[in-house]
Amino acid sequence: MSLRDPGGPPKLFRLPTARHRLRGDIERELRFHLEGRIDELIMRGYTREQAEREVSERFGDLTTIRHELEEIDVMTHRTREFREWRAALAADLRYALRGLALRPGFTAVVVLTLALGIGATTAIYALLDAVVLRPLPYAAANRLVYINHPVPGVQVDQRWLMSQAGYFFFRKNSAALSDIAVYNRGEISLVTSDGAERARAGAVSDNFFDVVGGRVLLGRGFTAADTRPNAPPVAVLGYDFWRQRFDGDPKIVGQSINLGSTPTEIIGVAQRALHLPDYQVQLWVPLELDPDAPAVNSHYLDAVARLAPGVTVTAAQAEAARLTSRLPEVFPRAYSPSFMRDSRFSVLVTPLRDFVIGGMSRTLWILLGAVAVVLLIACANVANLFLVRAESRRREVAIRTALGADRTHLAGHYLAESILLSLIGGVLAVGLAYSAVRLLLGLNPSSVPRLAELSFGWRPLAAAFVISLGTGTLLGLLPLVRVAVGGADVAAVRDGGRGQTASRRTLGARSALVVAQMALAVVLLAAAGLMLRSFERLRSVHPGLDASGLLTFEVALPWSRYGSRGVRGPDGYLPVFRFHRELAERLGALPGVSSVAMTRALAIKDGDGCALVFLKDRSYARETAPCLGNVLAGPGYFATMGIPVRGRAPTWADMEEKNGAVVVSKAFADHMWPGEDAIGKQLRPNGVSDPWYHVVGVTGDVRTRGLDQPPTEIVYYPMVPMEGAPLWSPPTTMTVVVRTGAGDPMALAPAVRRVVAALDREVPIANAQTMETILARSTAKTTFAMLLLGVAGGMALVLSAVGIYGVISYTVNQRRAEIGVRMALGAQAAQVGRMVVVQSLRVAGVGIAIGIVGAIATTRVMRSLLFGVSPTDPVTLAAVAMVLVAIGAFASYAPARRATKVDPVEVLRRD
Amino acid sequence: MPDLDLLRGTLDLLILKTLSWGPMHGLAVLRWVEQVTGQRLQITEGALYPALHRMEQKGWLDAEWGYTDRNREAKFYRLTAAGRRQLAAELSKWSRYSEAVQLVITAEGAR
Repeated sequence: MSLRDPGGPPKLFRLPTARHRLRGDIERELRFHLEGRIDELIMRGYTREQAEREVSERFGDLTTIRHELEEIDVMTHRTREFREWRAALAADLRYALRGLALRPGFTAVVVLTLALGIGATTAIYALLDAVVLRPLPYAAANRLVYINHPVPGVQVDQRWLMSQAGYFFFRKNSAALSDIAVYNRGEISLVTSDGAERARAGAVSDNFFDVVGGRVLLGRGFTAADTRPNAPPVAVLGYDFWRQRFDGDPKIVGQSINLGSTPTEIIGVAQRALHLPDYQVQLWVPLELDPDAPAVNSHYLDAVARLAPGVTVTAAQAEAARLTSRLPEVFPRAYSPSFMRDSRFSVLVTPLRDFVIGGMSRTLWILLGAVAVVLLIACANVANLFLVRAESRRREVAIRTALGADRTHLAGHYLAESILLSLIGGVLAVGLAYSAVRLLLGLNPSSVPRLAELSFGWRPLAAAFVISLGTGTLLGLLPLVRVAVGGADVAAVRDGGRGQTASRRTLGARSALVVAQMALAVVLLAAAGLMLRSFERLRSVHPGLDASGLLTFEVALPWSRYGSRGVRGPDGYLPVFRFHRELAERLGALPGVSSVAMTRALAIKDGDGCALVFLKDRSYARETAPCLGNVLAGPGYFATMGIPVRGRAPTWADMEEKNGAVVVSKAFADHMWPGEDAIGKQLRPNGVSDPWYHVVGVTGDVRTRGLDQPPTEIVYYPMVPMEGAPLWSPPTTMTVVVRTGAGDPMALAPAVRRVVAALDREVPIANAQTMETILARSTAKTTFAMLLLGVAGGMALVLSAVGIYGVISYTVNQRRAEIGVRMALGAQAAQVGRMVVVQSLRVAGVGIAIGIVGAIATTRVMRSLLFGVSPTDPVTLAAVAMVLVAIGAFASYAPARRATKVDPVEVLRRD
Repeated sequence: MPDLDLLRGTLDLLILKTLSWGPMHGLAVLRWVEQVTGQRLQITEGALYPALHRMEQKGWLDAEWGYTDRNREAKFYRLTAAGRRQLAAELSKWSRYSEAVQLVITAEGAR
């Protein structure tokens, strides 16, 4: 009996082929059996026919057995394949681990490089995931929309909120929206025995919780009756606030708290993690709404709605536009046809998520692109290292090939090694990314929405894993391409691995990688440079005020004691006026304070609002009156803020007299009375008949809406309106500005707090911060993008410097012989050095040229992030190119020096 | 004519024991059992092959194609180390079983 190698199945045999083979084997085995049996019977004297019949009877149903055998064999085959695959993998991994342990330097460099690239990508992905990709924390959040009103006729980018009348009108008539809710956000004073504090509150219509799909945990939510004017005050606690402030008291419902000096009954506790869109709410209160109030063209309500089943945003938009166009006919007094025409008042239905995220989506995608480029550059470096390894491995590969290792085997080895490396790098990267995200959150970039929701969950981890695996696979397949191209050269074994042609091929590949990484670095650095230039431009814009040494904080007086006499009675403004005059005096007496003032809308932080303005020397219809900035400013505001005034600024005496002295900004004066003196002119807001306010001064221009916006046209009204024209209610919430001497203005905050508490212990101060902080925050979007792109650019720079250095020093080593010969033939050291540097610059130059083209093609996507600089800004591009040329020269310095030290005698002797 | 039906579960034992003498193809296993028992034990021929293949799957047997001494191609089964361990286990199980049965059928009835 002889056993024979049946030419066993090749590995990774595909199942259909395998099944075919298994079937053949079964057939052969059974035929052998049956024929053997038949032969036996024939020998015993049966005829062939009898024998066949007898045998098949004894054997049983052939078809069934065949089928049964096939099922068994297929299972066997699969198990065996899997085992072999597992064994091969284990062997490859063992081999790779041993190999890596033998070269700790190589391993460390590769792992660190990959960790940097993967870590950066993971960190930005975590951010993108939390802010952009994850749905808002509401039930079926993709069905929620936000509704507001563009008024391009008033100002291009301006959006008005919803009016009360509009809300009831939409709620009643919309079929595309299953329901619509409105809300306001703000802070509210909570007075306890410990003093007064400010709590973040959401004032909502009765159906808000239903619309966003939120529930109350204890007690009840709001009803329509709660939102009526003069309803008994009630509140629902936010979950976290209930846990922290009230120790999660289960009997809290029914208790009373002091909200803004008003006893308020707690009627419920909201479910966990229920907040307004991108606003962490501590307390919920009913939003006062009056369905019977006459319609007023006053737009102050945020509106969120849920789309009816099957309705698209486009359909809802179309319906909303139809409803909005009916407003003049339904509410002719509030929405006149001329108002609709001149303001081009319209409606915009936006998915709520887009509204919340705003432009951040684009910024984060750009950043993700940037870190992906860093990862690519990192990969190019690692690929370069791999090519060097592959070069030194050529002998080994050739031997393995000669010994019968096929390409699949080699691929297995390479893949195991590179995937192992990238997974180790990935683990490190997760740590890096986690720290980076923590660091970023620590910086508290207020320009990024939804950061409060960020948690480093499984999704960034999964992303890191996928990126690592992808990177590893890509890098592992790279040498395989080389094996395929280079073939298995047996010559490598014979000549001891010193073939020159192969090294030249490698050099080509390595240079190509360096060119690619230089080009990518140019694109990234150009992006970072553009952000830096924008930042610079933005910071050099003069805000129109002197932010240094200013402390600002908000004071909210309880409406019930300071405002409610308000508009109705005489001297309704007296309580507010007295409080602030007293406050200004007491604060002014503090050591180190040079002046104090208050305003209802702090420049840069609060903007300036919009109110209609009528000029006495001009006559126009109410509908065509311009809607311009209006700010209530107390005495001394301009002096304290460092805003220059021509003419004079109103004083406490002016306010006491209620003489209607106002100042206007220079932009306003230039626009309204070009070539004339604005001082002495008369105007009034909102078109009410008499009296007229008169301009007593013109202020310097202030960029109240932010440094990236042009100076606005503003009328600064006094805190107290003129007698008989209660155009605004008593300003119970004011921002106080305090100019201090040397030192950090924040150091004054405790003293300020004491002064305010001494005046009225139920009055909290909130948001104490310096004006410089406010100024910095107004550029936060630019700072954020600049910072991150800068980090990415820096990484790109370092990585490509390492890359080009690696290639140049490798070339110098390869060309030692040639350099030796040159020097023996009389070349000077300087010439040799120059040759090396020139080679480096040539590689860098090609990369830079390609990169500049790439930058010009791609930086336009960041146009919206830039300020005062074009996406193809030649200065930036030139600077980037110069930096990289310097890097190219710098990286070749050490190799060039080494080249000049080549000893021709030694080199020549060696061969 | 065979006069004994094969007890359930004993086929594996017979195959393992038979193959312990050396590699054999299916038909040889069959012939060996018939020869040793003097044709008293009837193996359903159709059941033999599923049993062999299943044991191969379990790793008790290795199968390889080879040639008989008459130079015909056949599939030979050989006991693996695992198969030998299995045989030992089955043998001890079988002897305990048959002892127990023996005890019952030879016991004096209680009155």
